Amino acid sequence: MRAKKRVVTYGKAVPPSRGATSGPAPKTRRTPTVRTIRSAIVEPRPAPPPGPASPAARPVGPPVAGPARSTVDLSVDLGRGLVLRNPILVASGTFGYGVEYADVVDIQRIGAICCKGTTLRPRQGNRPPRVTETPGGMLNSIGLQNPGVDAVLERYASQWAGWKVPVIVNVAGESIEDYVGVVRKLDLVPGIAGVELNISCPNVGKGGLQFAIDQEAAAAVTRAVRRATELPLIVKLSPNVADIRPIAAAIAAAGADALSAVNTLSGMALRADRTGPFLGNTYGGLSGPAIKPVALRIVYEVAQVVGIPVIAIGGVTGLDDVLDYLAAGAVAVQVGTAIFADPTLPVRLVDQLAAECGRRGLASYGPLIGTALPTRPNAASAKGVEYRP
Amino acid sequence: MQLVDAELQESRQVLPGQWLQQYHAPALAVSARAGQFVHVRTGDCSGLVLRRPFTINTADPATGAISLHFREVGRGTAWLTRLRPGERIDMLGPLGQGFQVDSRSRHLLLVAGGLGIADLRLLVDEALRDGRQVVLLYGCRDASEVYPSSLLPDEVEYLVATDDGSVGHRGFVTDLVLDYEAWADQAFACGPLPMLRTLAGLVAGRKGRLGVATLGRKRGGGRPVPLGSPAARKKAFLQVAMEQNMGCAVGACLGCVIWGVNGPQRVCREGPVFAFDEIDWEATAGAGTHKR
Repeated sequence: MRAKKRVVTYGKAVPPSRGATSGPAPKTRRTPTVRTIRSAIVEPRPAPPPGPASPAARPVGPPVAGPARSTVDLSVDLGRGLVLRNPILVASGTFGYGVEYADVVDIQRIGAICCKGTTLRPRQGNRPPRVTETPGGMLNSIGLQNPGVDAVLERYASQWAGWKVPVIVNVAGESIEDYVGVVRKLDLVPGIAGVELNISCPNVGKGGLQFAIDQEAAAAVTRAVRRATELPLIVKLSPNVADIRPIAAAIAAAGADALSAVNTLSGMALRADRTGPFLGNTYGGLSGPAIKPVALRIVYEVAQVVGIPVIAIGGVTGLDDVLDYLAAGAVAVQVGTAIFADPTLPVRLVDQLAAECGRRGLASYGPLIGTALPTRPNAASAKGVEYRP
Repeated sequence: MQLVDAELQESRQVLPGQWLQQYHAPALAVSARAGQFVHVRTGDCSGLVLRRPFTINTADPATGAISLHFREVGRGTAWLTRLRPGERIDMLGPLGQGFQVDSRSRHLLLVAGGLGIADLRLLVDEALRDGRQVVLLYGCRDASEVYPSSLLPDEVEYLVATDDGSVGHRGFVTDLVLDYEAWADQAFACGPLPMLRTLAGLVAGRKGRLGVATLGRKRGGGRPVPLGSPAARKKAFLQVAMEQNMGCAVGACLGCVIWGVNGPQRVCREGPVFAFDEIDWEATAGAGTHKR
């Protein structure tokens, strides 16, 4: 029998999929079920060969090198045609522009790279010192140092266009016009796969209040950016709020294709002699394993109130963390701080996730998503603040 | 830059609280240049999430050994001191820009404050190998902290200054520089920030009339070179190795910047070695590192 020649392309083209949601973002539902979230996973492609699906009866082929990554479909659709080959991303600010780690990491195997936060104009960032280690984590206060969107595009966009790994540009600004200005410049540039909005920035127009902690401001900036571009739009949530759910729902309703959660927690450290704050900026953002329980709680909450994909961020250091976040309703995870100690971790996680699926006899990792979410609607965790003191 | 599995060969305390460890890491030993560093992953204990940067103290391509010289200041370094020969650790390196020695320099003046000697030690070896003369000025608090001359090649002229005068000159190591500044073609320094600032001020006060920049040139100097370029550093009379708390060490996180006259400079990428005139010494005043 002759097999039909099949060309599989990655990138922005939406692969053929049967029931997968693509195109316009699904309408926000109050309490989407696990099934809804699962639909964010692209169906296996090419379709598995007919026959019994038991592991013993899997087609016998030439042995593949390395883990069984070719037999498990890890691809994930984050909406608006942003289809990643696997759900392991690297978090903004921890991987530069993708080129820095290229010597020691096979970056093309990562699901996607979120680049350093990019603003309309160059920014010098905060005064040093900017980073310090804390128990189970680190504090940083870089202050969005970056050369500005024009320089970023000039230096990196042509390289990115030649990469297999999609690059999602993290965008920051101090006003809605800032965000829109950056995104307009990114729109239609080859090599830009999507946009991630960092809304944990002070909103100068609103007295320095962060966009991320204000439901209306967050929705307004999302809406404005949505109008400015057809690029897939991810909005990164801040954990520094009393209740994330109304904010997440408002952002989803405003047209975001996906949410990433969470940005760093606000914190500080003191100088060794306790004469003042250690960081040049006084406050910094806490990241690393220390924040995982907080991020897990937020992912769990957000996944229950929005119908768009949720990307988990916060203290991923191993496969267990990935599986936790998937179970809590995330469809993908970003690895951040752990890269500093272990640059090859993201690529290893891809292999480990594929192996885990293989071990469980799964053709895709979809069944791992949302298993820890409440099965009945209106579960206590979905409506209340009962766990808060 | 590569990830290397380095095996500990020897570990000993050379000074109170200061350790000298030799690792077998041929890939690093061959490629390391004076002033470069490695980013070391410590054990998965007590929630340490960052690597630790250490200057490559010595590197011997023939035996494939490199050595690190560090002070036990926190849990990460304490973990390192507990390693036993034969154990392996993960190093990323060599990283950063090393010292740039001009090919015409015959006389090198090295100024070390305390543990700053670790940054200059490999430069001593490289300079002697290339047939240069080396004077090493070393400053520390008291006799108990004086770097053992047994760890230095015999060819080095080694002078010590202590704060209390218990060994050598009584006072700052920078006091000794005046005797050698006319002799030196280039100077290289590493140590506490006040020491580096003093040196930079001293050199700036001479308005470039010192050292290699004036060698074999007609009046007026050569073509101008952009600040921070390797050519400019090579011409600079004084190069300093800076330190800062570090995250990724490959230039991605922008965590380790110090303030330069042209804005923030990454210690891990543009540095750790800078020409003295690249650094904004006023703005750098608050720089410091946490106990690691």
